Amino acid sequence: MFKDLDPILHSQLRLAVMSLLISVKEAEFTFIKEKTNATAGNLSVQVQKLKEAGYIDVVKEFKDNYPNTTCKITKKGIKAFEEYVNTLQQYLNVKK
Amino acid sequence: MSQYEEETFNEQESLQLITTMINKAKADFVETGISAIMWGSIISFCALVQFVSYFYPLSWARYVWLLTFLAVVPQIIISARERRRMKFKTYYSDAMSGIWLSFAITMFLLSFYVNTIQVPYIQLHAETLFLIVYGVPTFATGFTRRFTPMIIGGIACWVFAILAFYTAYPYTMLYYVAAAQLAWFIPGFILQRRYLKAKKQQHV
Repeated sequence: MFKDLDPILHSQLRLAVMSLLISVKEAEFTFIKEKTNATAGNLSVQVQKLKEAGYIDVVKEFKDNYPNTTCKITKKGIKAFEEYVNTLQQYLNVKK
Repeated sequence: MSQYEEETFNEQESLQLITTMINKAKADFVETGISAIMWGSIISFCALVQFVSYFYPLSWARYVWLLTFLAVVPQIIISARERRRMKFKTYYSDAMSGIWLSFAITMFLLSFYVNTIQVPYIQLHAETLFLIVYGVPTFATGFTRRFTPMIIGGIACWVFAILAFYTAYPYTMLYYVAAAQLAWFIPGFILQRRYLKAKKQQHV
């Protein structure tokens, strides 16, 4: 019996954000926006959902007198991402 | 319409997306290569001046290495600017800073030691010592970042360190020039080209 894919992660933009954050220690909102080609509004909503799930930490501060948002994956987020990839691999192995 | 509005995607596409995003993060070059170009030029210049002054004495040649201390000021400014421009931090950013800071401290202590110890410079084989130290952060950076030019540069420093042990002064100075070019100037130039290319693509 397969586990269901985590619905928080099984969304294109949220998965894209998590995949970026798993590769770096932390990233600014503008960097994530640039790499995902998402709109600021859509990205804000998805980042908020990831934050509410406890998968990422969001820090808002000032950098050179401008507001700056930094995102960082949490331990819970890393675990969820690993589980998601494992489940994905199980699905793909069966389909082979 | 945003490409992310479509929520239904299969497992294969999901895996493809993960791979693409991880590669995008890896391909982002933040280093401008300016520091490496600056240090490659300064060390080459100082070593060349010392080499030339052996044949054509220059009154100011003995002070030329003080340039390396002066260069710390622009280095601090460059590092601060690059840090400000950085939109993300990798897990090895702090490790790299630690390695290069250790290198700077080691170079300072080694310079102090070489200039204080009461042994003739030639007998000390100081060039060998310095070239060994040059190789450490260069090789470590190349190896950690999978950046072949710096791996080659680091190994070249160690090869020149061995050769310097068996070479008479002032010809050992030419190893400094070659090491500075291979370890920093050329890799810095490659980084600069990659950085400009990445910057250009961002604006397309």
